[in-house]
Amino acid sequence: MSDSRMLLAIFEDIEPASKGIDTLHNLGLSEDQMNVISGIPVKETILGRRPSRTHVGIIAMSGAVLGLLLGLFLIYGIPFLFPLDAGGQPIYPVPEGFIICFEMTMLGLMGFAFLGMFVDSGFPSYTPKEYVPQISDGRIAVLFHCPSGKQKGFIDALMKSGAQSVIPAEANQL
Amino acid sequence: MSAIAKPLVGSHTTEQEDPREHLMHDPLPRGEMNAMVMDSMHTTTWKYWTLAGILAFLVVTCLVYAWYILIMQGLGVTGDNRPVYWGIFLVNVVFWIGISHAGTFISAILRVLKIESRRPFTRAAELMTTFGLVQAGLSVFMHMGRVWLSYWLIPIPNERTIWPDFHSPLMWDFMAINTYLLCSTMYLFLPLIPDIAMARDRSTGWRKTFYRILAIGFRGTEGEWKNLKTAMNIFAFAIIPVMFSVHTIVSWDFAMATRPGWSSTVFGPYFVIGALHSGMAAVAVVLFMIRSTMKNMKYFIRPEHFDTLAKLSLMVSMAWAYFYFNDYLVPWYGGDKWEKILQDFTQRGPIGWLWYFMLFCNIVVPWSILWNKKWRRTPWLMAVVGLLINIGMWIERYVIIPEALTINRMPFTWQIYIPKLEIFLTIGTFALFFLLYLLASRLIPLIPVWEVQEGQEGHILRKIGKAHIPTVSEID
Amino acid sequence: MANDIQSPVNKSNAAQQVQGKWGMVVDQDLCTGCQACVAACSMENNVPFVGEVDAGYGRNMQWIRIERFWQGSFPEVKMVPFQPVMCQNCHNAPCEPVCPVYASVHSLSEDLNLQVYNRCVGTRYCANNCPYQARTFNWRDYQDARQRPELVTLQNQLNPDVTVRRRGVMEKCTFCIQRIRHAEDTAESENRDIRDGEVVPACAQACPASAITFGRIDDPTTKVSQAAVTSRASHLLEDLGTIPHVTYLAGGA
Repeated sequence: MSDSRMLLAIFEDIEPASKGIDTLHNLGLSEDQMNVISGIPVKETILGRRPSRTHVGIIAMSGAVLGLLLGLFLIYGIPFLFPLDAGGQPIYPVPEGFIICFEMTMLGLMGFAFLGMFVDSGFPSYTPKEYVPQISDGRIAVLFHCPSGKQKGFIDALMKSGAQSVIPAEANQL
Repeated sequence: MSAIAKPLVGSHTTEQEDPREHLMHDPLPRGEMNAMVMDSMHTTTWKYWTLAGILAFLVVTCLVYAWYILIMQGLGVTGDNRPVYWGIFLVNVVFWIGISHAGTFISAILRVLKIESRRPFTRAAELMTTFGLVQAGLSVFMHMGRVWLSYWLIPIPNERTIWPDFHSPLMWDFMAINTYLLCSTMYLFLPLIPDIAMARDRSTGWRKTFYRILAIGFRGTEGEWKNLKTAMNIFAFAIIPVMFSVHTIVSWDFAMATRPGWSSTVFGPYFVIGALHSGMAAVAVVLFMIRSTMKNMKYFIRPEHFDTLAKLSLMVSMAWAYFYFNDYLVPWYGGDKWEKILQDFTQRGPIGWLWYFMLFCNIVVPWSILWNKKWRRTPWLMAVVGLLINIGMWIERYVIIPEALTINRMPFTWQIYIPKLEIFLTIGTFALFFLLYLLASRLIPLIPVWEVQEGQEGHILRKIGKAHIPTVSEID
Repeated sequence: MANDIQSPVNKSNAAQQVQGKWGMVVDQDLCTGCQACVAACSMENNVPFVGEVDAGYGRNMQWIRIERFWQGSFPEVKMVPFQPVMCQNCHNAPCEPVCPVYASVHSLSEDLNLQVYNRCVGTRYCANNCPYQARTFNWRDYQDARQRPELVTLQNQLNPDVTVRRRGVMEKCTFCIQRIRHAEDTAESENRDIRDGEVVPACAQACPASAITFGRIDDPTTKVSQAAVTSRASHLLEDLGTIPHVTYLAGGA
């Protein structure tokens, strides 16, 4: 939107941040026009926002299924391709099947959860982003689109509801 | 912290009753905590470099050079023979995997159970897991006769169209240990990302480049936190059964064999409890070292954390004793000739004193010291107890592996095991473990500051009736 | 291959329960403990000499060993029959399922336990799992003439039919499979079956007391099958269910 600018409001703590987000709601901003950047995870409902969606769970589950298939291949596909008699045990063993399938399922679950987190958040990303180092010092920042012309009104309202500072958001190399 | 109504201000306020003794009720501004952690990372004294130098020297001689000799001359330079085909290398494998379980226990189980006092030392424990598994892997490679062909254990298509045999417990081992290594490294990295982002914001020069690359562009937006927390939750729940399965599978290396003393059905849970026992003790040792040698760590790692570890350690020690008694009673009672001879050899043989020392370290020491609250909160004492428990657990694995292999059903082949080059290689693995830890302590923040702050935000003193009760709320 | 033995095997059923193709009978009442079989086996199969120090430490590599026991203490010592022990080539070999790389496998055509030298990576689990402790390990390069110059001329006595193993590899008695193969090849080229007594492993060939008999145990007419069906017959460690192919005769006059 060419007629708005990104502003960054920095709050000291959770209470002022939730008040500030309330103020922004009252000023007419919708959920998608705001983003909260914080140094510790804060439940979205505490700040008065809708819980955000994540795809990590479903990606992890699909990884688990793939892992199970890999485990099945290892324990039953290999003797099928390469049958060798060993020790009087059945060539397609059942107990070993449980063991290997379990391990591979867990590996798939966790590996894909890890990758899913990367993919869903767009990591690794080294492009310049809107960020200030105070965030990792425990501040909570709200990044929002401010319609042009209304900047002063927004800034005043936010300062009144407890913001430490409101600055134009610049995309810096992190 | 239990919700007992104790007066906050009174005539008998002792150190134990002051909530500010607890890290969670003694908050500092995040910026200050960040600075403390960064400061401890950047501070290296001559003592640090001397220790690093000694460890590096030990690694080069006792690990690299000794292993070179081992590979070039073959396993004859060790103390293995018939019938003791597996000696100290396997003892080390089991020992290091046991150490590695500590990290998962603290990081995953305590997180799932929402035990808040875990917060400052999850990363220190997770580092032990990763580095411990490295040593375990090295020890596995060391014991192989033709280690240059060890890639044959990897199940990938090849031009020979030959695959490894999954009937073998060693292949289950291969799969399980690799799964555990990968997953615990990922689980180490996930909560590390926000702290690396913090370090990135507070560094310059090569450190900044290093942290910027590792931080993968993390800022802390809602979506990023949600994804991170979801992934961490999945890991916390999923890595617990993997942890149990890994050491069970390692125990099955022995239980699947037809040897007296090995073919025991209790080995699975017995080894898992043994791993927890040695792991928790090792965490106490490492935490004591961190607390006493690194700057500012006395704020983060407090006697209350040693208290938590010690209480858990006492419970695990009792569980270990229960399982060991199972493993001892059944063959003793059952009368299998070879099992009786083996027990006789273990307890009354030429190195019978080792067995008694093991019981002293694993049972007498924890049971006599860890019940006392004041002693539990004494870090150096907990480190000594932890060290003794680890020695006892190493001996326990020595009793299980080389000593049990000495006695088999063909008495003509019985032969005592006398370790030779394995001793140097063992020293080498310990040196490498500590060296890796030393290096890591100055490269990545050892304290998960965001988790500490998260906990501190959630802990408040709530006035109930006449008293201020420490309470914890879940802000996420 | 399915495990056919469902019920516990007891001593009297031992002879009838033997399955397989190639088997051996060792008559302990005839064995004099002379160790000619040990020497012959080592020569036939290129088994290295490990030297005094290693042998004293239990690293002897002979594939067959003569176990001697006694009862009582001096001067009332009673000798017990010598027990030559070699790989029993079990039908349900415990050494087989534990090898991670399929170096210890079962031959379906010969019903023998095979050790694949070039596949072995030396984890030694098979040796730990062998209840007879019949497997030996190459702890060093005992046969490397580059490291031990005294072996240069000894290389002339190596059997070309058998691999020379290097360090890090397990080995064990193979029932002289090279001789089995040779006899089978000869028989096939002459369009006939193998005759009884045609395959003689080195130990049986060298024994001056003819204590070792070898042959097809699935054929009841062979000498080895007939020798196995006596009241003196037993197997080592039978209760483990490994179904060994070596029958021991002992307890006679």
